[in-house]
Amino acid sequence: MTTEETLTLANDLLVNWVWSAESNRPEPNRLDVRLLSSTDLMPMVVGLRVQRLGYLAAITGLDPGPESDEMEVLYHFCAGQAVVTLRVSIPRVGGAVATLSDVIPSAEAYERELSEMFGVAVTGLRKPQHLYLPDDWPDGVYPLLKDADLSALPAAMPAALPNISKE
Amino acid sequence: MEVENKQQVNRFTVPIGPQHPALKEPGHFLITVEGEIVTDATVRLGYAHRGIERAVEERSWVQSMYILERVCGICSHIHATAYALGVEKLAEVEVPPRAQAIRVLVAEMERIHSHLLWLGVAAHEAGFDTLFMYSWRDRETVMDLLEGLTGNRVNYSANVLGGVKCDVDEAQADAIRQGLEFLEERTHHYLNVVTTDALFLQRTRGVGTMTRTQAELLGATGPTARASGVKRDVRVDAPYAAYDDYPAHMVIETNGDLEARFVVRIKELFESYRIIREVLDTLPPGELTARMPRRVKAGETISRVEAPRGELFYFIKSNGTDQPERIRVRTPTICNMASVVRLAVGHQLADVPMILVGIDPCFSCNDRMVIVEGANAERRSWTWEDLRQYGIEHYHQQSA
Repeated sequence: MTTEETLTLANDLLVNWVWSAESNRPEPNRLDVRLLSSTDLMPMVVGLRVQRLGYLAAITGLDPGPESDEMEVLYHFCAGQAVVTLRVSIPRVGGAVATLSDVIPSAEAYERELSEMFGVAVTGLRKPQHLYLPDDWPDGVYPLLKDADLSALPAAMPAALPNISKE
Repeated sequence: MEVENKQQVNRFTVPIGPQHPALKEPGHFLITVEGEIVTDATVRLGYAHRGIERAVEERSWVQSMYILERVCGICSHIHATAYALGVEKLAEVEVPPRAQAIRVLVAEMERIHSHLLWLGVAAHEAGFDTLFMYSWRDRETVMDLLEGLTGNRVNYSANVLGGVKCDVDEAQADAIRQGLEFLEERTHHYLNVVTTDALFLQRTRGVGTMTRTQAELLGATGPTARASGVKRDVRVDAPYAAYDDYPAHMVIETNGDLEARFVVRIKELFESYRIIREVLDTLPPGELTARMPRRVKAGETISRVEAPRGELFYFIKSNGTDQPERIRVRTPTICNMASVVRLAVGHQLADVPMILVGIDPCFSCNDRMVIVEGANAERRSWTWEDLRQYGIEHYHQQSA
């Protein structure tokens, strides 16, 4: 399948045919699908798997900052040159997404990272513990949120960081 | 007479790491064994997590390049390449073909050094220290060539946004050709050793076997996946930089065991030698850099490259200023780590180190905070200034 065929099929499957969603083509090899509801995520992923449209390459959390109420979670599926991105909007505080690890076992690591770095609850995750952050990391501090207050961390944590960037 | 077996099957949980002589980098494994056989394994990462994704959000595009290149000490060039290609796409900057070709050149030399490094570590884990020492001796050849080309052995800093810093002249090209000739001969020897040495094969053949379906389900990538027959190589599937002009051929094995992972990586070395020679023979003339704006147009892009360990994925978002809004780095080791935990089950405990090194794990890639923990459990961190001062005093004492 060429890149164009892959992206057309993905667009037909996700936007025109089964679910109502918005899509655009930011780059020739990319299709961005904006989900209207986060409950569509799981059936859409199953749809992509059934059609063998690529593998889950990464999950990206995207926080626009405290002035917004919402943040986005991006699921990137790659097939050859083609990249299909499913964009799910969730509340910035207390947001949740369903786990994909029942369908795609390799999603577990990305979801644990997403959950500890952005405070997104991933429902159904078998091991919700920290993957990268220390066991004694304080609750409620999510380091990749734009307004994360890292000064609240124990003295051992990177309070020194802002000083480096000023130099 | 019936002999009663009084031996009880005891279940033990063996913690390995974070600091352990068998691990070259920190990682914590909890391995449950019944007798010698592994029945469960879990992994805990993050001991080399340095908060790089957060750090780059507070720095300029140029400064971020410097940090991202330090995600990994083994594959520094490929991180910088993935980042530079993405940012250049966002800024709509056309990079001169000579620069793209030199990026490929350095990337393939890096692959050689990485695969030879891995060969040594893997041989060492198998107890074959002669192979370890020979392969690391030979690796010095390519390290010297990289130093001659870029000035550095490890973090080469060959990339800048908009091009490359270093050029290749005829004398350097000849030195590289000569070095490759030596390495090619040695690589034939290594391929012969890992496929014929009876003792070594006992540690690799049929050990840690992963089928193609398993590899796909567990999300394996790079040589680990290709050794199980998964046809996936970003250089071939989605050529970047100058791989359109210097196409790579995919090396596939189907056995999926440790031996296949050795064979795939060693055969990839021949592929790298061929690509480097082609680049040197047909290096396009012209400039090395294009002008790069300080501010990068708002937008998002995805940049995928083939690192020595597999697919490296960068998601880059710009908000139109001189600092990135968000950079997501997904390194190949995290993709392959799930396979280690799964494959270890059913094997002897002694095979676990081999299965772990079989994926060529890179914990620094994986994790991305300096915390110094004292014996009295008092925790503190060293600031940049503390580390600098320590370095100065240390070398003063040494020279005194």
